[in-house]
Amino acid sequence: MKQALPRLLCLVAGVVMIVQFFVPHGVSETLFSESLRWVRIISAFALILGVRSIIAHHGTRVRRRTAGWVYSAVTLTAMVVSTFIGLFVGKDANTPSLLASGAQTPIPLHMQLLYENIMAPLGATMFSILAFYMASAAYRAFRARNKEATLLLVAAFIVMIGMVPIGAAIWTKFPDVAQWLLNVPNMAAKRGIWFGIALGMIATSLKIILGIERGWLGGGRG
Amino acid sequence: MNFAERLGRIDRRIVFAFIAVVVIVPFFLPLSILSRVSPEAQRLFDAVEDIRPNDKPLLISIDFDPQSMPEIYPMLEALLRHAFARDVPVVVMALWVTGVGLGELALNQVAPEYGKEYGRDYAFLGWKPGFAAVVLGMGRSIPETYPTDQYDTPLDELPVMQGVRNYDDIPLAISLSAGDPGVMTVWIPYVQARFGQDLGAGVTAVSAADAYPFLQSGQLTGLLAGMKGAAEYEFLIAEAGYTEAATPAIQAMDSQSMAHLAIILLIVLGNASFILTRKRK
Amino acid sequence: MHVLELLTTVPGIWVWVGALLTLAIFSFLFGDNPLYKVAEHLYVGVSVGYMITIYYWNFFKPDLIDPLFRGGQFIVIIPALLGLCYFAIFIQKLSWAVRIPMGFVLGWGAGVAVPAMLQSYIIRQIQGSLLAPEMLASWDTIVWGIVSFLGVITTVVYFFFSREQKGALKVVANIGIIYIMVGFGASFGYTVMARVSLLIGRLQFLLRDWLGVIS
Repeated sequence: MKQALPRLLCLVAGVVMIVQFFVPHGVSETLFSESLRWVRIISAFALILGVRSIIAHHGTRVRRRTAGWVYSAVTLTAMVVSTFIGLFVGKDANTPSLLASGAQTPIPLHMQLLYENIMAPLGATMFSILAFYMASAAYRAFRARNKEATLLLVAAFIVMIGMVPIGAAIWTKFPDVAQWLLNVPNMAAKRGIWFGIALGMIATSLKIILGIERGWLGGGRG
Repeated sequence: MNFAERLGRIDRRIVFAFIAVVVIVPFFLPLSILSRVSPEAQRLFDAVEDIRPNDKPLLISIDFDPQSMPEIYPMLEALLRHAFARDVPVVVMALWVTGVGLGELALNQVAPEYGKEYGRDYAFLGWKPGFAAVVLGMGRSIPETYPTDQYDTPLDELPVMQGVRNYDDIPLAISLSAGDPGVMTVWIPYVQARFGQDLGAGVTAVSAADAYPFLQSGQLTGLLAGMKGAAEYEFLIAEAGYTEAATPAIQAMDSQSMAHLAIILLIVLGNASFILTRKRK
Repeated sequence: MHVLELLTTVPGIWVWVGALLTLAIFSFLFGDNPLYKVAEHLYVGVSVGYMITIYYWNFFKPDLIDPLFRGGQFIVIIPALLGLCYFAIFIQKLSWAVRIPMGFVLGWGAGVAVPAMLQSYIIRQIQGSLLAPEMLASWDTIVWGIVSFLGVITTVVYFFFSREQKGALKVVANIGIIYIMVGFGASFGYTVMARVSLLIGRLQFLLRDWLGVIS
C-alpha cells in the first residue's frame, strides 16, 4: 500500500499522458484538461514546502544561537515584514490588500516597491560580481595546454570579439566568422548534445513510469 | 621571480581594478561604434513587425528574474515599445515567480509612453505554479488556466482578451528566458512542438549558444542573445522610428567591447607566462 | 507610519536604498564581510516574502479559495488534499503519504515529457539536419549543411560510451571532439559576455540612476 499506491498512480498518470498525446480523443482531452489543474494545484503545495524548509533552516539557527544566527534573524525579519506588506498592505499599486477593500492600499507602500528597490538591486548585483572572478579565473587557469584547449580558446576569442561592435571595427569579417562558428560547428555540437539530453530524459521518464527508477520512493519511511 | 613568472602572477586586486576601469571609462569616453544587427535579431524584429495591429495579441513570457535583469530587461522594454508603437496588443505572463515584478515594472514604464490603457491595449496575467501544466493548459484554454489576471480581474472583463482562447489566437509568443523553466526546456517542447506556435526568444548570453539548433530547425523564429541582442533590438526599433527612449543596452556596448578585449588580453598574458615558463623548464 | 511615509514621499530615497544595497554586495570583492552577509540574507528574506505574496494572490486566492468558497467547485478539494500530503513528511507515521502527490506529479511529468522531448529534441532536430530545403539554396549552404550534419553525427558518436572507442569509432569520435570544443568555446565566449553585461548593468545603475554622472 505504502509503495504500491504511489507507484500505481505514477504508472497510470504517465501512461494516460503518453496515450493522450497520440490519441487525442474527447475523453482523454477532458482527462488531460482536468489533470492540468490538478498538477498546478499540487505543484503549488510542493513550492510551499520549499519556503517552509528555508524558514525552518533559519529558525533553527536563531533558536540555537549558532554562529551567524544574527544573519538568519535578518532573513526571518525581512521575510515577516515583506510578507506582511505583500498580504496586508498590498501586492502592488493596483491590487486590493487584505486590509483595504478598495483598489488603493491604505499606505502608499506595497510589495512591488520592495521588489524594485531591494530585491532587484540585490539580485542583479549578486551575479554581476562574477565578472571580476571570471576575469581573474580565466587569467589564472585558462591555458592552451593541448590541441583541444587551444581550439576552445580560439573559438571563445572569435565569439568574444565577433559578437561585440568592436569586432567589426578591428576586421569587418569578424562578425561573419563568429556567426558562421555559431551557426555551423557550434550548432552541430549542440544539436548532438541535445540528442543526448533528450534520449537521457526519455529513458529516465520511461523508467519512472514503469517503476524501474524508484529513487523518489525514498522520500518517506515505510 | 623572472618576467615570465611575474606576468602570470598579477595580483587579483589589480585584475579586478583593471576590469572595473575598462567597463567604466567608455561611459564617459564613448567609442560610438555602431553594432551590426545579427540575422537572428532581425528575424525576431520582422516577426513582431508582421503581427497585424489592433488584432490578436503578442504574448511575452517573463522567464527570468532580477539576477539576469541587465541582460534581458532591456529586451522586454524594447519589445513592448515595438508592439505598442505598432498598436499590437500585448499579453504578458511569467513562468518565474520572482520575475513577476519585472513585468509590472516594464509595463508601468512603457505603456504610458504610448498612451496604452490596461485591459484595453494590454494585459498582465502574472504567474501560476506548475510551468508545464500552465503552458499546456494555455494551449487548451487561456481563460481556464488564468481565470483572473495579475490584479484579480476576471479575464473575460478585459477587452484585450476577448476572442483570445488559446495559442490559435496568439500570432507570436516570445519567451524571455534565463534558464529553466524557459524557452528551451518548456516553450519549445511543450508549446512549439505540440501546438505549432510561432515562437521567438530572448535569452541570457550564457545559454545563447545552446539555442542555435532550434533556430536552424525553424523551431525558433528569432533570437536575442544577451545584452548584445537587446542592443540590436533597441537599434532596430529606434531606426524604425518607434521610440526615442533611452537605449541602455546600446550605451553598454562600448563597455562590453572593451571588457572583452581586456579579458582576452588577460588570457593571452596568462598563456604567454605559461608558455615562457614551460620553455625555460 | 512616519518612516513609511518618508520612504514613499522623499524623492530618490529608494534609489539610495538600491545603491547602498548594490555597494554592500560589491563589498564582497574585498572579502566576505558583515555588510555583504546582511545584504545577502536580506535578499533571501525579501525573496521568500515576495514568493509567499505571489503564491497567495496569484494561486491560493484565485485558484483555490475563490473556486471553493465562491464558485462551489468542490473538485479542487481532491488535488488540494493530494498537495497537503506533501506535509505528511513532518508526521512520522504518515510520512509515506508524501509519495502519493510525488507519484502523481512525477508520472504526469514523465508522461507529458516523453512525446514532447521526442518531437522537439529528436524528430524536429533530425528534420533540421536532413530535410531543411533552405540547405539547397546555394553551394555554400550545401557545404555547411554537410559539415553540420557530420558534426551532429560525430558529436553523438563521441558521447556513445557503450562500446570502447577504438579504430574507426575513435577517428569519428576525435572529429566529434573538434566540434564539441568549438561549441564549448562559443559557450564560454557567450558566458564572458553575460557576466560582463551584468556588471555593466549595475554600474549603469550606480552612475546614472544614483550619481547622475552619465546620461
